[in-house]
Amino acid sequence: MAKKVFVAFWILLSLLGLGTIKIGFFAPITGPAAADGASALHGAELAVEYINARGGVLGQKVELVWYDDNFKADQAVNIAYKLVQQDRVAVVVSGSYSGMTRAAAGIYQQLKVPMISAYAVHPEIVATGDYIFRVGTLATVQGRAGAHLAVRKLGAKRIAILTIDNDFGVSLTAGFKEEAIKLGAEIVFEQRYPLGETDFRPILTRIRALKPDAIYATAYFSEAARLVSQARQLGIFVPIIGQEGYDSPQFAKLAEAGAANGVVITTDLDRDSEKPIVRWFIEEYAKKYGLDADMVAASAFDAVIAAIKAIALAGSYDPAKIRDALASIKAGDKELEDFVTGFRGFTEKRESLRTITCQIYLGNRFHWFWEVTDPKIVTP
Amino acid sequence: MLQNVVNALVLGSSYLMIAVGLTLIYGILKILHIAHAGVYAFGALFTVYLYELGLSMVFAISFSLIASSLLGAFIYRGFYKHVLERGRIVPLVMSVGLFAAMEDLYRLLWGPYKRPFDVHLILPDLITPNLYLGSKGILMLICTAIVIFLLYLLMIKTKLGKSLRACANDLNLAGAFGIDTDRTITYGFLIGSALAALGGILVGLYDNTVYPTMGSVPSYKAFVVVVLGGFGSIRGAVMASYILALVETLIVYKFGFLLPRDAIAFLAMIALLMFKPEGLFGKVQR
Repeated sequence: MAKKVFVAFWILLSLLGLGTIKIGFFAPITGPAAADGASALHGAELAVEYINARGGVLGQKVELVWYDDNFKADQAVNIAYKLVQQDRVAVVVSGSYSGMTRAAAGIYQQLKVPMISAYAVHPEIVATGDYIFRVGTLATVQGRAGAHLAVRKLGAKRIAILTIDNDFGVSLTAGFKEEAIKLGAEIVFEQRYPLGETDFRPILTRIRALKPDAIYATAYFSEAARLVSQARQLGIFVPIIGQEGYDSPQFAKLAEAGAANGVVITTDLDRDSEKPIVRWFIEEYAKKYGLDADMVAASAFDAVIAAIKAIALAGSYDPAKIRDALASIKAGDKELEDFVTGFRGFTEKRESLRTITCQIYLGNRFHWFWEVTDPKIVTP
Repeated sequence: MLQNVVNALVLGSSYLMIAVGLTLIYGILKILHIAHAGVYAFGALFTVYLYELGLSMVFAISFSLIASSLLGAFIYRGFYKHVLERGRIVPLVMSVGLFAAMEDLYRLLWGPYKRPFDVHLILPDLITPNLYLGSKGILMLICTAIVIFLLYLLMIKTKLGKSLRACANDLNLAGAFGIDTDRTITYGFLIGSALAALGGILVGLYDNTVYPTMGSVPSYKAFVVVVLGGFGSIRGAVMASYILALVETLIVYKFGFLLPRDAIAFLAMIALLMFKPEGLFGKVQR
């Protein structure tokens, strides 16, 4: 009953042209991941701006209703209730990490409101249920792509693995290891380290003695900066293969001068892409926020665009209809140009179909290095 | 192996820089000065702030050290001094509150981001096929050696050092013998806080990163050093810092991160206290 009243009220409002289409959003604006939280929020804001400049959706302006989850899973759960029950949003984008997104996904599934994970990689998120989607790359897929990059492109035979001890790191490593062994490489060393670790020297000293051909290290940008700097300092000059966690302008800033050079990562934002939307996104982002766009911002942008596309396709602001519309989204339709990342739509399992781009850090930014398009590898 | 020892020496120096000031303060007042880690973070953050404003490195560090000293003295005179009569719990709670407030203040002032502290030093890197020690590590070792030497001179040769030692021995008795205890304690805070700030600056340089919560781990970890070294013994703090760093480094080298390093440190502390409740070099507190 309440829902009917609400829908009637909403139709009345929209007829008067007073309503806005709300997109729910949460990200770690404060806490240890504040830099990524800011990037995600910027990306989402830019997407809303982009759509509103083109007249909004269903004849109304789009509004982003966002909250700070403070890098805490319980906060993400509280926000889920708040967004659905107080703010009455019909679709939500997660701009947060795996831990928070996993916790919130259960609530959205229960309340039957679709949620799109922008860049959280853990497999369990989407497995929560039929209302949960992912725009970013599934960890296992990205790990697999990393293995192809290491073995096929860089020719590594003996690989050392360093894993950050959380959802993100462990699931990436699982995908990487399985595929690397399949491709005939040998894992000579494997070790986990806790989040926030700053001194990798003892571990790296051991890796140095083993003389691997490459190091696959899962990390976020601040650990990655320490790890890469210390490896180079200790005289380890083999390729270091990272992934989207490295993909932040902060990474090279925090690394020792020159240490970031030659680091290869698997990620979702191809900075050398000629696509007009990518060029617009990178330029607009720099102009508006005075920072370089990163993969987190691009993923949040795409997730919000996907949500808005689904609303347009559904032709209504009803959560169930938006869910069904999301499942049918494809890149490259006429009314909106393509997505910024390599996102091409959702699979039957609501994971993203995409091209994984490999970027190498040279000089002062990441450049195109290679890409993984083989459907066998990139299909989750 | 040599590489591990060198790494541990640098790591131990970073522990020592923060623990030595704490030892000084604990020795005199017998209070747990958690906010010391707040001063440590302030030293690093303020230096980077000044450096980004365009001051030269030497000036930025000097100003920051002076400001940090004053901050430490202010913490004593503005806060602890008024509650010293109330047992040890009150200053401890106050200190925890102060530290939390300081961290949030830094976040508001300088943002939550990790900031690079990229300075090119004139010192050379030491590079051989199986040993590497960067210029920032060398700086850390040199500064620590100088600080320990100066502190030794201060404690042994000067009147202030004698007063500090007298106060550490028995505050009331020292007062009765005509030592201006309040002034001596203030000096203890001035010196200890400058050392903490220098520690923060050196660690910031060594890791090329400063951030508002960089004092969180040192806030309790420095106490492990103080306890291991024997409460209030500077010589003990020096030994404990290096032993702890060596144990941590070797355990991580051999077994990886089975336990976070801090857990290793606490286990070492508990193990030692079982057998030597007064710490490595402490006197039994009566």
